[in-house]
Amino acid sequence: MENFKNLPIVKKLGFNRIILVLVLIAMYFIFSLGSGRMLGQSDLMNALNMVDYLGFLALGVTFVIATGGIDFSIGPVMVCSGLIAGRLLVTFGWPLWLALIMCVVVGMIFGVFNGILVAFMGLPSFISSMASMMLAKGVGSVFTHVQNSNWPASGAPNSGYKYFVSYNGIPTGLIFLLVVTIICSILLNKTLIGRYILCIGSNREAVRLSGVDTRKWEALAYVICGTLAGIAAITYVGVITQVQPGLGDEFNNNAIASCVMGGTSMAGGVASIGGTFIGVLIISLLRVGIQAMGFRPDYQYIITGIIVALAVFADIRSSARKK
Amino acid sequence: MGEVILTMKGIDKSFPGVHALDHVDLEVRKGEVHALMGENGAGKSTLMKVLTGIYTKDSGTITYEGREVEFHNPREAQEAGIVIVHQELNMMNHLTVAQNIFIGREFMKGKLIDDVRMNAEAKKLFTQLGIDINPAEKMGNLTVGKQQMCEIAKAISHEAKVIIFDEPSAALTEAEIEELFKIIRDLREKQLGIVYISHRMDEIKVITDRVTVMRDGGYVGTLITEQCTKDDIINMMVGRVIYEEPKTQSMVPPDAPVVLKVEHLNAGKMVQDVSFELHKGEILGFSGLMGAGRTETARALFGADPKESGDIYVNGKKVDIKSPEDAVKNGIGYLSEDRKRYGIVVGKTVAENSTMANLRDFVKGLFIDKRKENQVTNEYIDKLKTKTPSVDQLVINLSGGNQQKVVLAKWLVKNCDILIFDEPTRGIDVGAKSEIYHLMNELAAAGKSIIMISSEMTEILRMSDRIVVMCEGRKTAEIDIAEATQENIMHAATLR
Repeated sequence: MENFKNLPIVKKLGFNRIILVLVLIAMYFIFSLGSGRMLGQSDLMNALNMVDYLGFLALGVTFVIATGGIDFSIGPVMVCSGLIAGRLLVTFGWPLWLALIMCVVVGMIFGVFNGILVAFMGLPSFISSMASMMLAKGVGSVFTHVQNSNWPASGAPNSGYKYFVSYNGIPTGLIFLLVVTIICSILLNKTLIGRYILCIGSNREAVRLSGVDTRKWEALAYVICGTLAGIAAITYVGVITQVQPGLGDEFNNNAIASCVMGGTSMAGGVASIGGTFIGVLIISLLRVGIQAMGFRPDYQYIITGIIVALAVFADIRSSARKK
Repeated sequence: MGEVILTMKGIDKSFPGVHALDHVDLEVRKGEVHALMGENGAGKSTLMKVLTGIYTKDSGTITYEGREVEFHNPREAQEAGIVIVHQELNMMNHLTVAQNIFIGREFMKGKLIDDVRMNAEAKKLFTQLGIDINPAEKMGNLTVGKQQMCEIAKAISHEAKVIIFDEPSAALTEAEIEELFKIIRDLREKQLGIVYISHRMDEIKVITDRVTVMRDGGYVGTLITEQCTKDDIINMMVGRVIYEEPKTQSMVPPDAPVVLKVEHLNAGKMVQDVSFELHKGEILGFSGLMGAGRTETARALFGADPKESGDIYVNGKKVDIKSPEDAVKNGIGYLSEDRKRYGIVVGKTVAENSTMANLRDFVKGLFIDKRKENQVTNEYIDKLKTKTPSVDQLVINLSGGNQQKVVLAKWLVKNCDILIFDEPTRGIDVGAKSEIYHLMNELAAAGKSIIMISSEMTEILRMSDRIVVMCEGRKTAEIDIAEATQENIMHAATLR
């Protein structure tokens, strides 16, 4: 095992990521065996629908967790964006492109709000993101008068937003997500922003005493997170078309679970964008697989819960070993 | 000295890639204070961890009270009578003194905790040790010195026969150290075996009977303290003579310009109306007892903590320093006394830490220029002789002295002209210490100006060109090195 870990190719890819991919492949076969048939294209496309929006949420929250914070508002913020932009499009007759930009803008505004509360006003991120979670739910409901926001169905005028999810059977959503994943990975590992975010997560005070305005960089992590929640909204409405107010909580948990599974440390300072991406695939496949095996979807919560507990436990164990 | 109580013979221990202990011997007698010395990383702590069962030895024998023993955890060692008083105190501040001492073995009255009896038992212990502490006091209200006394009392209450002190004096004032020594002598009277780990050479001469020196995980030798000199011990530790004499006169030309002027600085109780000047190329020592407000002054000046009032001039120009960012922009760098909390990002690499203060200069287009970063980091690794396998090593894996060099590199990469060294050699071994001193002298000679806060009198007298003495938040004296003596500094440090 030690020898395997020290192979150059393994080191380059990361041992944990290789394990995760193996887990993913194993899951595919277990679900296929359990459901008595190979999971086919329709199952996988079904899983992919969730991958798209969950992916953007998880990428965003990876930045926040890297600073040592947490954001519980991303799911409701995504739903809120979908509600507001949908009503602007359908009821107020805004052009599609402007409505889609509004999706992103609404997410970004929540990100700025969280960033100010946490980084500049010193609120614990746990509390501030609870607050903005409530706000997002409330604003979405109030703006739509607690009505569903019905985006145009496929084929109807103004239904071009669906191309962000798939186009003539091509999974454009996945391609879109992959591109953003690569951008996020570069952002986190190659730029000033990512360097400071990771260092702040590792030891905020030492970074501040190096003459760095830590508040600015920490707030930026929340802005990135909110913006990506806004982008997630575009693929979210692309998948479900009808947005209901008051939803979104469960997406938080799945997104955070994906991050943790992918090797991002809840203590901050260590984050893996690639790991998050694989984590998203695992969570999504889990949901489809469980349904394929004939269980009710709520079983997924139990399994996700167990996986998250195990992943965090492994994280704590490995950081304890390093000390 | 009485009969032998503890013998460790040929102790060997390897970790993957490191031969941590290479056939080390140690013998402790009853009624003896036995110093265990060596640079950081020499293996002292590892040896003590093997003794108390935290690590399992690969080979060698431990004989305790005439029987060969092997402890599997600290609790077993404790029950047998071997106790460590740790450098970092493991006390719960919101509990009382007595509750802390008897934690895990509380006296019970039925199902309830019997606090009255615990207080009485603690009182008995304190009387036995001749210390005056109220057992019902909250631990958090005691000074570090008193807390250390409680830790010792706790050790005694385990009916210890061998007590290991791991750098007990690191956080104590001179007066508290005196009190500690009184207790240690008392324990020696009572025929306990005492192992005393410390970096402070002066203490070793004062308190110990024998000295065992380790180097690079190996056993170097055991001396009788009375019959050897400081230089003998240092030579054994590092294999070369490095003791330096105190400075006798200032190295700063009288017409050197003032680079930093602080006027009437106020920041809470610990910084009251502090004014001073720092000249180009000068090492300005800040002396005083623990709690004199020296670190607080430095932090207020650096913008790390808010200040209430006061003016700061850099190169004759008034500057407004509200945050560390402002201070760094004005060419001030701060090396904290608590490196792990305030100095370095332990989970990051040497390169990442070295460029932390001016990463912007390493950005090419959108991306960090990794090649330039590595090149500059390597330059400073060479310049400062930092011992690290590569620029990608995590700083957590470096020794204290090398971590300090990484922090220094950070400020030199930033090209700061004013450097505040807060306890620059705390927790650093003798060899690295002298390297840090050389670096500071070189920097001063090259025109950098240095404020050095230090609690070690010898360090103050060896390094400073001029000395500011503080006491309880106020500046009480400013002494040129030519006139400075231990006595007049100590006098000013205890003015009120």
